[in-house]
Amino acid sequence: MIATHTFPYRARVTVLVLFTIMSAIVTEACVREEDISLEQRAYQLSGELMCPVCDGQTIDGSNAQIAVDMRLKVTNLLQEGNTNAEILDYFSDRYGEEILAAPTGKGFNMLAWIFPALIVTAALGIALYTIKHMKSSVLNNEPKSSSTGNISIKHTDLSEYLDRVDKDLGIKKDSTIQAKQEKEDEEEN
Amino acid sequence: MADLGAMALLLGLVVSCYAAAASVLGEKMRIAELIVSARRSIYMTALCAAVASGTLIFAFAENDFSIEYVANHSNTLMDRAFVWVAFYAGNEGSLLYILLILTVISSISIWVAPTRLERSMPWTIAILAVIQLFYFAVLTLSASPFELMENVPEDGRGINPLLTHPGMFSHPPLLMGGLIAITVPFAFVSGALIAGNFGDDWVDVARVSAIIAWGVLGIGMLLGAWWAYTILGWGGYWAWDPIENVALMPWLVMTAFIHSIMVQKRRGMFRMWNVALLNIAFVLAQLGMFINRGGPVVSVHSFAASTLGMIFLSFMLASLVFAFALFLWRMPALKSDRNMESFMSREASFLVNNFLFLSVMAITLWGVLFPLFSDFARDVSVTVSAPYFDRANGPVLLGIVMMMGVGPLLPWRKASARSLKQWFIWPTAALLLIITFLVIAGIQRPVAIFAFGVVGFVAASILEEWWRGSYARHRNGDNWALAWWRLVNGNRPRHGGYIVHISILMIGLGIIGTNFYQQRTDGAISLGESLVIDNYRIQYIDRGDDSRPDRVAQWAEISIYKIEPSDYAYEFDLALSQGSNGFTLEDSTRRKNDKLIDTIKPWHGFYLDFNMASVRSGIRSTFIEDLYVIPRDFLNDGRVSLAVSINPLAWWLWASGPLFIIGTMIALWPQPAVETRPAKKNTKQSPAES
Repeated sequence: MIATHTFPYRARVTVLVLFTIMSAIVTEACVREEDISLEQRAYQLSGELMCPVCDGQTIDGSNAQIAVDMRLKVTNLLQEGNTNAEILDYFSDRYGEEILAAPTGKGFNMLAWIFPALIVTAALGIALYTIKHMKSSVLNNEPKSSSTGNISIKHTDLSEYLDRVDKDLGIKKDSTIQAKQEKEDEEEN
Repeated sequence: MADLGAMALLLGLVVSCYAAAASVLGEKMRIAELIVSARRSIYMTALCAAVASGTLIFAFAENDFSIEYVANHSNTLMDRAFVWVAFYAGNEGSLLYILLILTVISSISIWVAPTRLERSMPWTIAILAVIQLFYFAVLTLSASPFELMENVPEDGRGINPLLTHPGMFSHPPLLMGGLIAITVPFAFVSGALIAGNFGDDWVDVARVSAIIAWGVLGIGMLLGAWWAYTILGWGGYWAWDPIENVALMPWLVMTAFIHSIMVQKRRGMFRMWNVALLNIAFVLAQLGMFINRGGPVVSVHSFAASTLGMIFLSFMLASLVFAFALFLWRMPALKSDRNMESFMSREASFLVNNFLFLSVMAITLWGVLFPLFSDFARDVSVTVSAPYFDRANGPVLLGIVMMMGVGPLLPWRKASARSLKQWFIWPTAALLLIITFLVIAGIQRPVAIFAFGVVGFVAASILEEWWRGSYARHRNGDNWALAWWRLVNGNRPRHGGYIVHISILMIGLGIIGTNFYQQRTDGAISLGESLVIDNYRIQYIDRGDDSRPDRVAQWAEISIYKIEPSDYAYEFDLALSQGSNGFTLEDSTRRKNDKLIDTIKPWHGFYLDFNMASVRSGIRSTFIEDLYVIPRDFLNDGRVSLAVSINPLAWWLWASGPLFIIGTMIALWPQPAVETRPAKKNTKQSPAES
C-alpha cells in the first residue's frame, strides 16, 4: 500500500517468493541441541552462568576455583543426561537468579525480553510515520508557495525526472549523470 | 613537585571560570575584547592541564612516591615505558588525562573554527569552558592526583599487570579521548542554537569533529577488543560488559549522526533530528563517565576506589536537562527545507538506519539498567550479560548491516522501480548465491548462513557501484586503479564511507565466524603429549621459567601440526562416543600426514602483590581461522592445562582496523571544490550579518 507506485505488483511477488524459498532453505539447515557434542554444550552453558566471586565474568572466562568446580558440575550434569534448561535451573535454584548470565523469560524478567522487541517496533514505526508525515506535507505546502516558486519547483522536478530516465535507460551514461547529480547536490549546499 | 601540579589545576579552575563568564558577558554587553580574552583563556586552560599532566608524568618517571597516586600505580621494577600507561591507569590520573584532551581539542577547535561561526562562538566557548570547569573542579576538590602520602613508602605498589601490554598505550587513551571529544560537536551545535544561528553553517564543523570523535572512539573499542583477545585469556574479545556498553552506546548514536548529518548537508533536512542525536550522544558520553566512576553496576573495568558517582550523576543529569531544554526551546526554528519525496530514497533509508542504531542503543541501555529495575521492583538480583545482548541486539545489528547495502543503492529524493531493479539485481543475486552455496556445501547454522548472505549482499552493492563508476572512467582511458582512485576522490565522504562499510563487513565476518563456528577443547598434558582437535594436533615440547621478583611466570613451547583427521579416525570416534570433539594423545610419534606448521609460546604469569594471573595466549592466525591456545595453569605435576579453540574468521576482526582508519581519513579529507565555495560566499556575507 505504502509503496505501490514505486514497487510494482510483480516485484513484490518476486520478493515474497524469494523470501519463502530462502526461509525454506534456512530451516532445512537447522541444528538441534542433541546434534552438538556434550563438550560443546558444556562450553555453551559455561557462557550462560556467572562466576559468583568475579566481577561480571562467566565461569567460562574465569579461572577462579569456584568457576572450575562449576564447570566440572556442568559436565557431570550433562553426562547424567540433563537438558540445558534443567542445568540452568539447577544452578539458579542453588545460587539465585543472579547466577544466570541472561534473565529468564518468565514473570518479571519477561520485561527484559519484551522491551527490545517493543523498542525496535516503535523505532521502525516512528521512522515510517515520520517519512510518511514528511512526505504528505508536500501536498499541504505546495499551494501556499508563490507562483514563481511553483514554476521553479516544477522545472527542477522535470530535470530530475529526465536525469532519472536517462540513468534508467543506460548504464553507460551513468558516470556523467552521477557527476551532474553530485554537482547539483553541491550547489544545493 | 606536587604543589606545581595542584597549582596548575587550581589556576585552570579559575581561568575556565573566567572564560565562561567573560564569554557570556562579552556577548551580552557587546564587548568584543572580553570575548577575545575568553577565547585566549581556553588556550590557557590547555596550558594548565598540560603543566599538571607533565608534572604527574615527571613524578612517575622520577619515582616520586611521596605522591599517593604515583605510589599506588607504579614501582621501581616497572618498565619505564609504562609510565605513560600508569599516568591514566587510575581514577584521578585518567580524569586528568580526559581534561588534558578536552582542553587541547577545545583549543584546537576554537582555533580552526571558520569565521562564519563568529556569531555563535561566544556561546560555544562558554559551553566548553563550563565543561572544563567541571573537570577542573573535580580534580581540585575531590579527586586530586597530587595528594601526598603521610609516610613515603620505599617502593610503589606497582601497575596492574593486566595493563602492561602494548595495547594499553593506545586503547584507553583513544577510548577516553573519543568519549570526551563528543563535547566539541555538541558545544558547536549548542552554541549555534543559543545564538540563533539556524543556518547550516555549523554542519561542516559538527560533521568533521563528530567523525573524528567517532573514529577515535571506534578504533579505541577495536583495540580494546584486540587487547582482550590477545591478553585477557578468555578467548573472547567483546563481553558486553557495562563499561564496554557505555562506550558503544554513544558510538552508535554518533554513527547515526554522521550519516544523517549528510542529509542535512546535501538536502537541508533532518536539522531537528541531528541536534537531538548529538544531544543524546553527549548525554550518553556523560553516562559513560558516571558508570565508569563508581556507577551502580558491576564491571571488570571500573575504577573500584572511585566515590565520584554522585558528582558525575549530577553532571550527567544537568547536561541532559540543558541539552534538551535548549532543543525544545529552539525546535520551532529547526524545520527542514524540503520534504521527503519517497520511501524509496536515501533520505528515508538514512532515517530508518538511524532508528535502528537508536534501537540497539536503547536495548543496550535497557540491558545495562535492567538489574537496577529488578533490584528495585522485586528485590531480586539478576544479571544481564553477554547471552542477553547477543540475542537481543543480534537481529537488529543484522538489520543495520542489511540497511548498509540498501541505503547507498537508493538515490537521493526518489527511486524509480526501474532503477531499483537495475541496482538491486546483482546484490540480491550475491545474497542468494552465497546462501545456496553454503547450504549445498553442508555448512550448518541457518542464522549464520543468512548473515553471510547479507554480508555478501552489502559487499556486492559496494563493488557494483565501484565497478560501474570505475568502468565509465576506465573507458575514458584511465587504468583501473586510477579510475577507481578518481572515483573515490570525486566524492570522498561517500567512498570513504564505503571503505568504512567494508571494514564493518570484515568485523561482521569475524563476529559470525567466532560466534557460530567456534570449536573448543581443553585438557592437561605432560611434555611430549598432544591435544587433538579438528585438523590440528598441538604437542607440548618444552617449558621455561620467566619469573621476576613480582611474579611467578612460565612459558610453554608448543608445536602445531596440521593433521589428516582420517589418520586419527579411531581416536576421534572414541572421543565422540564420550561426548567430546577433541582428545589427549600420549603417543608422540608423528602419523603419516602430520605436518609441522608453527610453534607458539603461550605464557602464564601470576602476580603476587595483585593476587592476579595474566596470560599471553599462543595464537596461530590465518585469514581462515585462528588456532588459539590459552595456558590456564602450569600444574605441580609438570603438566600444563590448556584451553584450545579454533576461532574461524577471527583474523578479519583485526584486519578491519587499518581499513576503518583509511576510510575515515578519506571521508574527512577536505574536499577543495566543495569547501572553498561556501566559505567565499560567507566572507562576503559576514560583514552584512554582523
